[in-house]
Amino acid sequence: MSEAPATSSIYDLGYRRYDGVRLGRRHAVAALYTHSLRTAFGLGRPATAKIVPIGLAVLTLLPALIALGVAAIASDVEIYSANGYYGYVEVILALFVAAMAPELVGRDQRQRTLTLYFSRSLLRVDYAVGKVAALTSAMLLLTLVPQALLFLGRAFAWNDFWGYTQDNWQDIPAIVGSGLLLSLTMSSLAIALACYTKRRAFATGGIIAYFVISTGVSAIVANTASGIVRKLSLLPSGFHLLRGFTLWMFDVTPTLDAQGNSNGPAGDLVVAGLDFYWYAVAAGVAIAGALYIIYRRYQTVAA
Amino acid sequence: MPIFWLTFRQLIGAKRTMLLASAALLPVLLALVFRSGGDQEPAHWTAQTLLAQFVVGTMLPLAALVFGTAALGSEIDDGTAVYLLSKPIPRAAILLPKLAAAVLLTAGFVLVATIVSGAIAAWGSTDGAAVLVGFSVAVVTGAVVYCALFMLLSVMTTRAFIAGLIYVFIWEGVVTRLFTGTRIFSVRQYTLGVADGVASVGNDVFKSDLSAASAVLMMVLVGVGATLLAIRRLRRFEIGETA
Amino acid sequence: MTVDVRREPQAESPAAPGQYAIEVTNVSKWYGNVVAVNDITFALGPGVTGLLGPNGAGKSTLLHMMSGFLKPSSGSVRVLGASAWQHPDMYRSVGLVPEREAVYRFLSGWEFVLLSAKLQGLKDPEAAARRAIHEVDMESAQHRATGGYSKGMKQRVKVAAAIVHEPQVLVLDEPFNGADPRQRLHLMDMLREMAANGRTIVFSSHILEEVERLAERVLVVVAGRLAASGDFREIRRLMTDRPHTFTVRSSDNRRLASALVADPSVFGVELGDGRVTVRTSEFLAFAQAVARVARTADVSLFELLPTDESLESVFSYLVQR
Repeated sequence: MSEAPATSSIYDLGYRRYDGVRLGRRHAVAALYTHSLRTAFGLGRPATAKIVPIGLAVLTLLPALIALGVAAIASDVEIYSANGYYGYVEVILALFVAAMAPELVGRDQRQRTLTLYFSRSLLRVDYAVGKVAALTSAMLLLTLVPQALLFLGRAFAWNDFWGYTQDNWQDIPAIVGSGLLLSLTMSSLAIALACYTKRRAFATGGIIAYFVISTGVSAIVANTASGIVRKLSLLPSGFHLLRGFTLWMFDVTPTLDAQGNSNGPAGDLVVAGLDFYWYAVAAGVAIAGALYIIYRRYQTVAA
Repeated sequence: MPIFWLTFRQLIGAKRTMLLASAALLPVLLALVFRSGGDQEPAHWTAQTLLAQFVVGTMLPLAALVFGTAALGSEIDDGTAVYLLSKPIPRAAILLPKLAAAVLLTAGFVLVATIVSGAIAAWGSTDGAAVLVGFSVAVVTGAVVYCALFMLLSVMTTRAFIAGLIYVFIWEGVVTRLFTGTRIFSVRQYTLGVADGVASVGNDVFKSDLSAASAVLMMVLVGVGATLLAIRRLRRFEIGETA
Repeated sequence: MTVDVRREPQAESPAAPGQYAIEVTNVSKWYGNVVAVNDITFALGPGVTGLLGPNGAGKSTLLHMMSGFLKPSSGSVRVLGASAWQHPDMYRSVGLVPEREAVYRFLSGWEFVLLSAKLQGLKDPEAAARRAIHEVDMESAQHRATGGYSKGMKQRVKVAAAIVHEPQVLVLDEPFNGADPRQRLHLMDMLREMAANGRTIVFSSHILEEVERLAERVLVVVAGRLAASGDFREIRRLMTDRPHTFTVRSSDNRRLASALVADPSVFGVELGDGRVTVRTSEFLAFAQAVARVARTADVSLFELLPTDESLESVFSYLVQR
């Protein structure tokens, strides 16, 4: 049988198959986690993408650095207590999740790269877990690093480093616990809001609007209403919730001003009069709800 | 005029309007809560808590941020700005109608929220009417300055929204509270200054940190300055492959 | 040998020097330390010019500078005698069709074109918009929202908005994207007609066949530099260091092949499929030699065809070099 003249042919362009080991699902999740954690700080992205996250991260350190600087010059200065620190940086932390959650989950939907993830060994739920874990880890850095600085600073200011540490070691579980719960609450709420839109502005605005508006409304209701409405008024508030469970973990009760009025978010919590452990319960419920919403979204989202 | 209507139709898009309309209901809700159980003096609570703290402190800047950055910024983002920039009209004639549309919508939303919630909360109080008039004028002037400022941000950076949030909540919300000297650079403080000046009620009802005269002066300076800078920036606006 | 692009263009355009519609002189554009356009000079008069180059070559940057949207880092871009940068008045006689698909989704096609006419300050914007929409054959869909248009429809309505004021110069960035073949021909006819009326038209495209069919002149941009300009057949001939290939049919292919091999202008001959394929490095020498060789060998020539005169081969040659 004679061969037909070769009018069509396939050329060997030198492409090679991948013959190496395939690492599988766990490594895929780990890679997604690492990549997302880097993205949360703009690493591996152009300089303009670094300004906001790195700038906000530096701002969370600023109150601690100022306090330490003052303490180094003048002795016997009261540095912020660990349980009150989030009061200074909560807005910055909210801006951080508002800016970065859409960056972590919105880009993949906007640029249609989600399909590339889902066509790998990664499951849909793995993607959600990886993203929430990455943002939570980034938030942990933003909360625990200033806390560590503050702790060390106070220990040195005490003149007896080991003595201070021995006296205050029981603060450490509260610092780590509140940091962890705060990071998980803010990250899961932020991603739950952000994963529903491709538009960065909507996601950022929604997250900030939730924290700021709920806090404003709740503070006003707590100081205006009475009875059961007042008692429950702070549960929906983003910032009061964080403050409430932090105070519970440190087992601290804030004081009111001389007239018995609230002097800020911590005072609002006293005015509302709900036992502080309820805020930890509420945070747990919020996290569970947010994770369920995220889970549902990634089960159904069109990749 | 065509640009004004174009921008108006762009901004009035369904999702955004629904969200803001529901946000405008919040002060009304707060006023109802106050009426049902608040024990403070109504005019004082209305001015200090409802209008100064919530409406001027949160709603006005958020509404201005949404409309001010979207009026021109969203066109730059999606590439439609080219159709306006490639027309033989002065750049000011592109920016000013857009600013007007953003101001009109911002002021409209916030004004309705101010009047309705303020009327409910301060009903029957002697200073109530003065407080309402003062804050109504103030939120409109505040809307102009905020929108001009956010419009300037939107021609300067593609991340105008987050930059505006940082200005409103970190600068105006935290820094000006800790360092009182910086209040002269806060649009919120100008707005409250105007409210105090127009309302002219007793200090026990409402007292702003800036005097009305310096508030008005700063408003004019910042508003005009931001608008002129934005026009200048738009003249030199480069649209490349990345834009 | 290369095409000398610095040279003032020859008298291919009727306008006198200094009277070109678009003059680009020693223009460079860089972003930080990335050079997008590197020292490009050319001038264009009436007619259709195609801007050709691979992705990232700087075509779009160049078009944006001609449109007044980008400031050249050095050099000058002049459109109709005035600098294009910061000169909005020039849009009275310049029309632009941007590459991006974005339109005002909530406007109908009619409203979109009418908006353009109004912003151009035309005396009778309705009549101008009607005429422009008729030109691009969009009357049937003009009252539907542009958000629901197909790619090709968006493209046509963008063209309508750009020609509503009958501009002297029309700049189009990838205008044939998404258009179906019939619309493509229609748009080509329209552009050709505008060119015939003395207008200057510049368009970029990555589809060589379009450039070849529509453009009288080509500008080939490679890696930010102008690799060639002018009539592409002419460019092709100037590149004599590159082998040209001809196919020849004759009364006796085998005899002709053996005779041609002996000629110094020929360096490869292949027989098959009823024809001889000849490779040569010297275009003119071969053209003269082939007839002489055939006569000497007593072979009749039936057909002599250059096989790779297409823009594609010119282009890939320039790009690979």
